[in-house]
Amino acid sequence: MTVVVLTPGDTGFARDLRAALLDLDVDPVLAEPRTTDRRELRDAFARAKGGAVVHVCGDAAATVPAPLGETGPEEWDRRGERPLREALATFQAAHDHFAAAGGGRLVLVTSTAGISGAASVVPFVAAAEGVRAMAKSAARQWGERSITVNAVLVPLALLAPGAAGVTSFLTPPALGAPATLHDVAAAVRWFTGADSTGITGATVVADGGAVMAP
Amino acid sequence: MTGDRILAGRGVLVTGGAAGVGRGIALACGVAGAHVVVASRGDNGRAVVDDITGRGGDATWVRCDVTVRDDVTHAVAQAVERAGGLHAVVHNATSNQSSVPHRLEEVTHELWDDHASVSLRGAYHCAQAALPALRVTQGTMIVMTSPAGVEGSATLPLYATVKGALRGFAKGLAREWAPSGITVNVVSPLAFSPAMVNAIAEDPAMEERLNRRVPLGRVGDPETDVGAAVAFLLSPDAGYVTGQTIGIDGGHFMNL
Repeated sequence: MTVVVLTPGDTGFARDLRAALLDLDVDPVLAEPRTTDRRELRDAFARAKGGAVVHVCGDAAATVPAPLGETGPEEWDRRGERPLREALATFQAAHDHFAAAGGGRLVLVTSTAGISGAASVVPFVAAAEGVRAMAKSAARQWGERSITVNAVLVPLALLAPGAAGVTSFLTPPALGAPATLHDVAAAVRWFTGADSTGITGATVVADGGAVMAP
Repeated sequence: MTGDRILAGRGVLVTGGAAGVGRGIALACGVAGAHVVVASRGDNGRAVVDDITGRGGDATWVRCDVTVRDDVTHAVAQAVERAGGLHAVVHNATSNQSSVPHRLEEVTHELWDDHASVSLRGAYHCAQAALPALRVTQGTMIVMTSPAGVEGSATLPLYATVKGALRGFAKGLAREWAPSGITVNVVSPLAFSPAMVNAIAEDPAMEERLNRRVPLGRVGDPETDVGAAVAFLLSPDAGYVTGQTIGIDGGHFMNL
């Protein structure tokens, strides 16, 4: 069974996603504490003997609603640039680990708000769409090393329930009910499993059909 | 609106306006009647101002490093003072390393900061500094992106990352500023930049290869193709367009 390492592992979403993955017979490990140190992350992936790394971009700290005009430089960095640096460190560490292992699966989980936009969380929205472009670039560069990189986009309400109101403009999900952690875990499992080895650079929107833009 | 002077009486600030696509946008806005504030780190922005005024237009040069908040604040103040108001900001500045190929696994903190500070933090500085003035004019902001920001890049992953981030930034800001009547859009150009001209000088066959890939059969001109389209997007006629990514690339990229 593929060991799936979740990073950063210190958020409520990561813990909930771990539980949902356990229900799907996946072997998930939380990477804690949160760090942007590439070597620490690489060692954590090696210790876990991870065949897949799932990086989550977006949490309560990154999605505190505030107008951009009232967002100071420290908040801008914490909510906009730091999530990108965290992703970069995770991607690089995953590359090191997977390259040594002859391949691996990297999955990005972030919010559909990067596609739809959202007022009052502009720094995070920028990070969400930036990290998706980073994932596609990594997919293009690392495919020759048998490393796949894909993305699962989820409603902001799942990543940061306190910020869910800023995406209230979205149309209701076509399937009626909002997406659940089980839906997200199922998409993550598919991207870390044997049936998707030929897929890279892809984005799956796991939100029940609310956001349908490319 | 009279003739082609669709920006008459409007103040337009262009970051990275001294060369390439930024210069083309500045020139086109000058032709369209705007008072153009050409913001650049180097003195070469003066020459663009001379080009605009030499054609009978109005323009001002300001030294501006977009990574420095005070520089951007000063540039906005100059636009308000010289043009009588700020109606539009075009954030075109990018890192000097933008077109240097790299591997994502080899990226250093320094290289990351070089890209992020100009493109992304620069956009943040521009938006914060310009918001009060744009509220007054119910103006507009454009940020420049690239197909790399949409579909990733096999050679320029950091460039792709910050250009993708700018798309998210603009969509978020478009929603946030809409109640104030301010529009925000994204432009993805294909045009001769200094980097592209240099690359073609080293590999003359590159231009023909590019032309074959573009449905309209040629690489765009920074002024008459990209600049003219940006001038339209900055004009009152485009006042109902917001949150959009617009490719000005001869049909090169149709995947949006």
